[in-house]
Amino acid sequence: MAQTLASAPPPMNKGFFSRISSYIFDIRFLGVIVQIAFIAIVILGVRTLGGNFAQNAGKLGRAQFICRDGSFSYRCAYDFMDGNAGFDISDPPLEYKTTDSFWWALWNGIINTFRVGILALIATTILGTLAGIARLSDNWLLSKVALVYVEITRNTPVLVQLLLLYFSVVLALPDIREAIQPFGLPIFLSNRGLSIPWPEFMSSAPIWLAFLILGILQFQLTWFFMGRREQETGKPSNRFRWALAGFLVIAAVGWIISSATADNEGILVARSSRIGEFEDIKSVIMTRGGVNHVSEFAHKSDEELEQAALKICVLRDSPSEPNLTNKLRRLGLPYEVNRASSMSRAISSFAEGNCDVLAAPKSALNSALAMLESPASNLIVSVKEAPLTWTVPSFEGFNVVGGWSMTGEFFALFLGLTIFYGGGLAEVVRAGILSVSKGQTEAARALGLLEGQRLQLIVLPQALKVIIPPLISTYLSLMKDTSLGVAVAFPEMYLISQTLMNQSGRALQIMIIIMLVYLVISIFFSVVLNWYNQRVVLVER
Amino acid sequence: MDQNGTIKEPIIVCRDVHKWYGDFHVLRGIDMNVTPGEVVVICGPSGSGKSTFIRCMNRLEEHQQGDIVIDGIELTHDVRNISEIRREVGMVFQQFNLFPHLTVLDNITLAPINVRKWKRERAEELAMEWLTRVGIPEQANKYPGQLSGGQQQRVAIARTLTMQPKILLFDEPTSALDPEMIKEVLDVMIELAGLGMTMLCVTHEMGFARAVANRVAMFDHGQIVEENDPESFFNNPQHERTKLFLSQILNH
Repeated sequence: MAQTLASAPPPMNKGFFSRISSYIFDIRFLGVIVQIAFIAIVILGVRTLGGNFAQNAGKLGRAQFICRDGSFSYRCAYDFMDGNAGFDISDPPLEYKTTDSFWWALWNGIINTFRVGILALIATTILGTLAGIARLSDNWLLSKVALVYVEITRNTPVLVQLLLLYFSVVLALPDIREAIQPFGLPIFLSNRGLSIPWPEFMSSAPIWLAFLILGILQFQLTWFFMGRREQETGKPSNRFRWALAGFLVIAAVGWIISSATADNEGILVARSSRIGEFEDIKSVIMTRGGVNHVSEFAHKSDEELEQAALKICVLRDSPSEPNLTNKLRRLGLPYEVNRASSMSRAISSFAEGNCDVLAAPKSALNSALAMLESPASNLIVSVKEAPLTWTVPSFEGFNVVGGWSMTGEFFALFLGLTIFYGGGLAEVVRAGILSVSKGQTEAARALGLLEGQRLQLIVLPQALKVIIPPLISTYLSLMKDTSLGVAVAFPEMYLISQTLMNQSGRALQIMIIIMLVYLVISIFFSVVLNWYNQRVVLVER
Repeated sequence: MDQNGTIKEPIIVCRDVHKWYGDFHVLRGIDMNVTPGEVVVICGPSGSGKSTFIRCMNRLEEHQQGDIVIDGIELTHDVRNISEIRREVGMVFQQFNLFPHLTVLDNITLAPINVRKWKRERAEELAMEWLTRVGIPEQANKYPGQLSGGQQQRVAIARTLTMQPKILLFDEPTSALDPEMIKEVLDVMIELAGLGMTMLCVTHEMGFARAVANRVAMFDHGQIVEENDPESFFNNPQHERTKLFLSQILNH
């Protein structure tokens, strides 16, 4: 046996063809050939496409590159963006007029893209995780419901789902006057969209936010130093509770200080109204209503209440309104709000005697006072403000005012993306959980961990490393698919860019911007999530 | 009866335990009592139901007929009973089943902290004590993936023991190990037996059975065909199936 191994190999066949073929079939030679072929294909492709591009760009003519001084240069390719947009945006996130520039219109679209994208991303993550876990549940009904949801959403095109949702769900919602209010909460759902209560930052908020940052610093320091003392003394201490308590105390103190020191909000009143201080409002309204106690307002008729109510003039969507009306509501006093579309209209409305008070930040009131015919007969009364004030949506004629609202189009796109990508994510989560071996579950159970602890401490941390790579592509697809807003007329970046192209006739330039923006969004998400992914990778030998 | 002649209450009582996987009748009426401090070795051909049987002890598998009473608590569908039993019954697996995303120390302290609600310091102290006993205190801050099979299994044993269980179940603890690592795990198990731990071991390590077992039970087709002290079991097997089994595993 050993002799056979040691003996010389059989003589090779040294024929010409076999020698050649042994070169041709050499794996190294084949590798080089494949590389060369690939490079050739790439060069050919780039030349063809590039030539085409240059030819087409040339055909577009010099008019595409006209500068302000009338000359032509490639450097002026984007000068047209400074011109008037000249079209309306139905749901601008920022203040927007048709006379604003193309850039500003596009910026509004980009912000809308982020608004709907980020919101859908958060909702998708929650829905997908729950549906993925539900799919693996022992509960027969729950797992079958999740199965049907996943199969329907994954096996039909997102565009079809979105249109179905828009036309047969959102547009089929009741008219604004019969808006759905779930459980009687101040949430309004109608074919115009959704309105929910929302905390509004007042001008004293920065002081409070500074305290919050201080509180977080304190938390970190307490956590760190108590942790070090724990290690030194070997005695356990409730450092989380101490750090949290410290944070809460600082936040509360900050709230009190910022509320007490803030003197930015006020109301403009006529001296004749006998309101000299905020507290006077109560007696004035009670006298006008002819009551001795505010509880008696409950028995008054609508006409009597209207008669007694404090009439407030205010700029639409100004946080001064909820700041004042929340206080009146707490006092139990009736009021009526007259919202103006601009500050000057609000001032003239007040000057005409349509309201008892004009509510606004004091700086605005001072300039308003100067505009009045007889400034001396009016005065400014301070209104206290907390750093945050809730604005709550309510009916006002044929409209819902206040709160945070999204239009029907926003709602449809948000819901459509969430439902579609939630189904995809459910499968990703399920695959991740199934990738954790059965032995892990058995070991966790054998150690006496409860089911929730097992999921939280053992299964999910391990599933994450399988989930994250496909999660990244789900997030990227979702962000890119916000461009489907074009189907439901939601003015996100892509829809606005289409209008821009029609208005300006510069498709190429705008397409380049759009691609760059999507590219930046995608790279941002990839970098962040890949960084996170590297952190959860298991240590192996 | 122990050496003093007093009768100990059994800590594990199994009466007529049956289990089916669909139509397949895996356990066909198992009766077994184990008293505290006893070491019982269970052997038998693969598919005989021995693993299934010990996995019924802590409800990793559900028995469908008969009674299992552990430390006075009956194993029923009541989740409180199940949790209480799992706290008192530790298990060591063939595939170790360490948690790969946690360090050795975190693997060990996870259950004491989250299930027994101990302070971290106390859990870590006991964890280090057991790690020292199984001979690998220096590995405490490594991840399971960085250890050899034998070391992993010793960590798994330390993890189970830090919970201070009253009963230990071993499910073929050495079957996935390289031959030279089997001894280091068996040494730990022999030491545990010496400490008076109640142990139920599914294993083919007949040397271990001879050395420390109080009883050896032979499983075949979901039944105990023979149960005896190791001396008589190995030297004078009664049942034909036992004779065949012993000849197959001892003479190769």
